[in-house]
Amino acid sequence: MPVMAGLVENECLKILRRKRFRLVLVVLAALLCLVVFAQNRQQQNQRRDHPERDWRAQVEKRASDLERQAGQRRMPENWKRWMRYESGRLRYYLSKNLNPNELTGPVFTRTFAGVGSVLLIPLLIAVFGADLVSSEFAEGTITLLLTRPVARWKVLLSKVVAMMLFTTLTLLAAFFLAWGISGVAFGWSGWGAPMLMGFRLGPGAAGGFDLTGVRMVPLWQDTFAAWGLAWFSALAVGSITLLLSVVFRSVAAAMGTMMATLVGGTILSRVASDWDGAKWFFVTNLPLPDFYAGLPTPFEGMTLAFSVWVLLAWAAASLAAAFLLFTRRDVTA
Amino acid sequence: MVVSAADVVLSAEGLAKRYGDREVVSDVSFALRRGEVFGFLGPNGAGKTTTIRMLVGLVKPSRGRIVIDGHDLRQEFEAAMRRVGCIVETPDLYKFLTGRENLEHFARMLGDGAAGRIDSLAALVHMDGRLDGVVRTYSLGMRQRVGIAQALLSDPAVLILDEPTNGLDPAGIREMRELVRRLAGEQGLAVFVSSHLLSEVEKMVDRIAIVHRGRTLATGTLVELTDGGRRGLEDLFLELTGGETV
Ligand SMILES: Nc1ncnc2c1ncn2[C@@H]1O[C@H](COP(=O)(O)OP(=O)(O)O)[C@@H](O)[C@H]1O
Ligand SMILES: [Mg+2]
Repeated sequence: MPVMAGLVENECLKILRRKRFRLVLVVLAALLCLVVFAQNRQQQNQRRDHPERDWRAQVEKRASDLERQAGQRRMPENWKRWMRYESGRLRYYLSKNLNPNELTGPVFTRTFAGVGSVLLIPLLIAVFGADLVSSEFAEGTITLLLTRPVARWKVLLSKVVAMMLFTTLTLLAAFFLAWGISGVAFGWSGWGAPMLMGFRLGPGAAGGFDLTGVRMVPLWQDTFAAWGLAWFSALAVGSITLLLSVVFRSVAAAMGTMMATLVGGTILSRVASDWDGAKWFFVTNLPLPDFYAGLPTPFEGMTLAFSVWVLLAWAAASLAAAFLLFTRRDVTA
Repeated sequence: MVVSAADVVLSAEGLAKRYGDREVVSDVSFALRRGEVFGFLGPNGAGKTTTIRMLVGLVKPSRGRIVIDGHDLRQEFEAAMRRVGCIVETPDLYKFLTGRENLEHFARMLGDGAAGRIDSLAALVHMDGRLDGVVRTYSLGMRQRVGIAQALLSDPAVLILDEPTNGLDPAGIREMRELVRRLAGEQGLAVFVSSHLLSEVEKMVDRIAIVHRGRTLATGTLVELTDGGRRGLEDLFLELTGGETV
């Protein structure tokens, strides 16, 4: 379809000329600078306060602190699970004589895939995705767009493709900015460092720490998988954003709804640990890179595969609803 | 004047549109012929814009049929719309793009070398040399003209303009009238012009339809409708609508 290439070119041109995407890149770079700066300061302070201690003693202390806290009665259940997980992981690293806290640019970049896909990257996608369709209604240009000899589904498909392209660009930018900026402080090399993966907590409050699945992979391999999963999460967020952009005629309404949903959902998965219906909500399933690393999921019984399927279902349902609504609705005023 | 079916480039038969429980358009029928300027006259709220939205596929008719250059709009949307250019209500272009970028944008939606027509169309609407300004800085008249250039990109058989003289000054209205006459005369286009002001379109139309409360009440040339000029169109309108003036 030669026309489809032209339609996608149109959508990309509009995204770029609206300048929202440039804002996304600037925000991303600024936040990364801030986080790297803060981590660097923390590392320097630790070295200054405990110059005598070697890393083994530090890791040992952190692990026993976590175990003590996890034993406290008033601690929420999902925090306890995370603490038992983290202390078990630290102890295993110690037993292999590996430093789990060795901070390099590549380690930072790997970690950012998980941290970023919870809230930051989805919010940035909402910034440029929310106006894909709603701005055409708000500015009145929908009238011209839909009175050209191009079926409505093709017009929307070109917007879906543009959304996917710019989501991919956002992820690529996030990866290279994270590596580039953190490298200034922590060094750019270290992609071959060994990573231990596959720790698992047994079920229930007293479940043991399961080491049978633990394996060692080079960091670059782990990072590649983590960012691939972050990209998948981001595409799901983009699809849902596109649906809101079709539903609302105002850019502010579409963007506001998406942002409120993301922030609200993040809070929900942190506090509502005993209502496990929340595991079907898309926001709960966004941190795929963390689930892949084996971090405890917010609800028991969630797995990486479960979350991938839930996100896929949300994305597919959103796109289907967006196409139905967009191709059928009367365009008045 | 004998009109063969082959001359008809757009026909609307028994169009109706219902929003909720309110019927906004009840029975609109007309046929548009090649090379003519057709006035669609009626007071505000008569259903002109709603009819136009149905003609260009923005709104789905509750009843009735639209055929454009032999293609049924509902069944062959793309083939039908290739023969139509339109401006509905205001000429809304992408304000953050230049006039040329807007035209290139819509040319890409058409494919097949439509972009090659941009410069000649810009000259036709007297926008050559001003296409590279951002649309945000254009006057209404300039937007109107870029809008018409955009509508002509696909080399259509029908041009639909919704109240094109609204908001223009007398010089702008005269210019618009000359452009419309030229398009119909030189290029054989059928031009459909809606208006609530008879005086502004009187001198540009060949035939008119009078629409009131969602119905076409009379269709014909100005001479036919005014008994060869013996009575004014205002009188006819008053008679048809029972009081409201155009
Ligand atoms: N989306 C809509 N929902 C309900 N009523 C509408 C809608 N659009 C237009 N109308 C009503 O339909 C009538 C005809 O409107 P319109 O076609 O814009 O008239 P005109 O263009 O002749 O002034 C008006 O009374 C208007 O209020
Ligand atoms: Mg109107």
